[in-house]
Amino acid sequence: MTSRSPAAAVGRSVPRLEAHAKVTGRAEYVHNLTVPGMLHAKVFRSTLAHGRIRKIDTTAARAMPGVFAVYTGADIRKVIAEPYYGPAFHDQPILALDKVRYVGEPVAVVLAADVHVADAAAQSIVAEYDELPAVYDEVEAMTSQAVVHDVLKPAGTFADLKYLKDKRDTNIALDFHLRRGDVAKAFAAADHVFEHTFRTQQVLHVPLEAFATVAEPSGDLTSGALLLHSSTQSPSFVRTEIARLFGWPDNKVRVKVPYLGGGFGAKVYVKSEALAAACAMLCKRPVKYALTMEEQFTMITKHATTLRIKSGVTKDGKITARECEVWWNGGAYADIGPRVTQKSGFTAAGPYDIDNVHIDSYALYTHLPPAGALRGFGIPQLVWAYESHTDMIARELNIDPLEIRRKNLLREGRPQATGTPMRDAALDLVLERLATRMNWNNKAKPFDKGAGTIKRGRGLAIGFKASISPTTSMAIVNLAADGSCSLYSSTVDMGQGSDTAMAQMVSEVMGVPIEKITVVHPDTDVTPYDMATLGSRSTFHMGHAVKNAAEDARDKLIALAREVGLAAETTPIPDIFRKKYGMLAGNIVGVGSFIPPYTPPDANGQTDNATPFWMIGATGAEVEVDTETGEFKVTRLVNLVDVGKSINPAIVETQISGATVMQLGFTLSEKMNFSAGQCINASFADYKIPGIRDIPPMENEAVDGNQRNGPFGAKGVGESGTFGVSPAIANAIDDAVGVRLMSLPLTAEAVYRGLRAKAGNPLKDI
Amino acid sequence: MTPFDLAEPRTLREAAALCGEDSSGNSVRAIAGGTALMLMMKAGVFQPRRLVSLRRLEARYSGITVTSDGGLRVGALATLSSLARSTAVHGAAPVIPQTLKTLANVRVRNVATLGGALAHGDPHMDLPPVLTALGASVLTVSPSGEGARAVGDIYTGYYETALAKGELIAEVIVPPQTGWRAAYFKVTTRCADDWPTLGVAVSVKRYANVVTDVRMVVSAATDKPVRLATAEKELRGAAPDAARLSRCGEAAASEVELAADARGSSAYKRELLRVYAVRALRVALDYPS
Repeated sequence: MTSRSPAAAVGRSVPRLEAHAKVTGRAEYVHNLTVPGMLHAKVFRSTLAHGRIRKIDTTAARAMPGVFAVYTGADIRKVIAEPYYGPAFHDQPILALDKVRYVGEPVAVVLAADVHVADAAAQSIVAEYDELPAVYDEVEAMTSQAVVHDVLKPAGTFADLKYLKDKRDTNIALDFHLRRGDVAKAFAAADHVFEHTFRTQQVLHVPLEAFATVAEPSGDLTSGALLLHSSTQSPSFVRTEIARLFGWPDNKVRVKVPYLGGGFGAKVYVKSEALAAACAMLCKRPVKYALTMEEQFTMITKHATTLRIKSGVTKDGKITARECEVWWNGGAYADIGPRVTQKSGFTAAGPYDIDNVHIDSYALYTHLPPAGALRGFGIPQLVWAYESHTDMIARELNIDPLEIRRKNLLREGRPQATGTPMRDAALDLVLERLATRMNWNNKAKPFDKGAGTIKRGRGLAIGFKASISPTTSMAIVNLAADGSCSLYSSTVDMGQGSDTAMAQMVSEVMGVPIEKITVVHPDTDVTPYDMATLGSRSTFHMGHAVKNAAEDARDKLIALAREVGLAAETTPIPDIFRKKYGMLAGNIVGVGSFIPPYTPPDANGQTDNATPFWMIGATGAEVEVDTETGEFKVTRLVNLVDVGKSINPAIVETQISGATVMQLGFTLSEKMNFSAGQCINASFADYKIPGIRDIPPMENEAVDGNQRNGPFGAKGVGESGTFGVSPAIANAIDDAVGVRLMSLPLTAEAVYRGLRAKAGNPLKDI
Repeated sequence: MTPFDLAEPRTLREAAALCGEDSSGNSVRAIAGGTALMLMMKAGVFQPRRLVSLRRLEARYSGITVTSDGGLRVGALATLSSLARSTAVHGAAPVIPQTLKTLANVRVRNVATLGGALAHGDPHMDLPPVLTALGASVLTVSPSGEGARAVGDIYTGYYETALAKGELIAEVIVPPQTGWRAAYFKVTTRCADDWPTLGVAVSVKRYANVVTDVRMVVSAATDKPVRLATAEKELRGAAPDAARLSRCGEAAASEVELAADARGSSAYKRELLRVYAVRALRVALDYPS
């Protein structure tokens, strides 16, 4: 079919398919959806971090004109006997039962046709609790007498969590251990041993479309069936989990997903769906549960962490041993935290060739809002620690920060800490391109270190991530007789441009122009299974499934042409169908699926195949520090990533810059502040995401990589831009003024305090 | 946000008469641009039954004119954008358009009004300290008649003003700035688009090499805009050399209590005030930065 092939669809910056619909306001979002007879759900939330529920008084709410119903946890049990959900643990009640475990936890729900009535009624509910001791710090949670869950309840989905079943009186939701070589011996033999502890703060995803689900009872209402329109990244998971809760077969739940106004990992697994579904089944009416922007602070967050890292180093800077302890603050419900703990935890020693590695990674329950996946799945926290630590070693040993990384970098074919050999991981290329773009070793034009009260500095950092494995994707390509084509895929386009990338792959294989391809959005009655749109997995996994489906359709078309005596290469597609069916009729359905090979780790975290591909991201930063106030300005950010071959270079660039800006917010300004477990800055006047004037001059580059086992040489791109941002900036600040920050976010005040401490005149609090 | 009634009177007198309390004792407030009130209403902190819109009042309350003495007379309903674009404002008080560049964003500036920015009483706002430094005053209208007060006298505490119920700002008078130069620093420590950690406004009157008069105001870290009287005294009548400015910064940092919040500790804000008081003075004195 070469004659029909458009100029190579893959590798071209094809404009986004949905761009016009979005800028003209025509793109569909659940946030905007109304259906006839719909009721609005508004939630009454816990004001206490840990307490036994004594009484929930809903009298005033029930009496309010226009209120259709008020439900508490006890009512949910009428339709769902065991109303606990979660991807790793079945620990999260749809509405609190017996106890509340964080401030903001849903306790009761009001339904009304008028959203304002529902809101006012929810505010009239009063609850009384017997307060219980609470724990907020992830390290304290290891040994705290305050326990979040009396008994652990692993979901059973993950085989390696089964050992936690029925475990009592612990906050440790998972402990992951990796052992390679002999760390103690190597420390004893090392010329130098360095040990540092770093911290990261709890932050939020902030998709501009908050969580929203419309649940409609369907079928005959007696047997039970539901249609859910949901702003979710994981329609297949939502279907299965909601069906499990009701004890129904999967096909009684239909999940439809239009466009998403952002997800970033917030909208994976069950979020707003379970409450909307339970309410709809209780009241037999369609129910919309849509959160306000401020309510996002109560749903899901990114783990705060404490990271202790210790390295043995030779005098010339070769790292011989590294020991990492990571404590992940998972909040009151595990969500996907245990996966973060393991799947990201095993890279905690960094992209370095170290013979002796020892990692302990702990998922902890605390009485804070739950933490889950957020663009990087724990990796940015780890890179923050190991790239700050690596820089501190370099400065201590008077070795150039680039040189120490060159000396220790994992090269192609060398085993990573799990024992898995590095394949198609362009760490060296990424680092070298970064050095070139930063003019790192340009002796002719040395870096300007500033003068007077403005000092300048530069820093770099490199990180890597394994793809969560093993996961499955399925796709269907449906070729119509007129030569137009539909792709059925449950990948959710939440702004990352997956519709366009997938259509490009179909176009490339089928030789059908991109304008003739429609991407059918996730609808579990229509589109086949996909694990979820997360962890930069879609380009690789769904890309493979789509490519396979397109190849299947193409092969069937060739066979059909042959059957009717035509040459597929030269005959227009409609003519082939016309000849077979006597008119423009029929279609060809190609199917494809993909699951990568994978070997589970042994008791020491060792495996010969930890991941189908490695994501690489590095950032170089230049800063200017005002030594009178500690204020600093990032004056340049250079971001380098390895995404294999780019399917769509323009979209790849926006993914790099988007990821970088997101991590820039987590580096400089975003932080949930808590008092007794209550987030005290739960509004966007007080929780600051970067604005357009905060974005520094930025250069983004995808190196010329090739993922040989990837579809068209491609691999994931959504997260790589986040990896190096935080430590690169901290390293640059240290380079400028000799102040080392160990906690995120990096604030002007912290720099100022560092300057004062360094001058022997620490700032005294008033 | 709960639904509410909206009155749209055509005259300021009528508007003032509608404000205050309704027959059931509920507070009835005026709304102009609504950029601050709507946020409070969305958050549920303010749940009015009835609001009085000022959008349809007489046109002169949106006007900007230069007075015969070279000062400014600005209608309270002039939008911040119209101030930013006004050549009269640029000529008479350039610090105002400079301040507006980083005040919120273009969408807010297009609807927010000068009167609203002064009457709201949020200590983080930029125009109260700036207009205090300029020696500006307001003319007000209430059911009981007309009044006048200095901008610096409007504020009595955190979100508290001396304006009586039903007393609306009608116009703002900026006196002629002959011989004066002003500067304002909005110090943000997290994002560019954030409430200031500290606001520092100064206005300096200089003759030959002597500062004959000065007004210095700190905001954002205080309950209300506060004049830095000791620092002013340090500078008034003195030659503004580096040592003098430094003493002035010390005085500023010593004379007020600054509240800690997510933007910084009290101790850090004091250091910022010490530095930015001097920086603001240097700009107003036209010293090289």
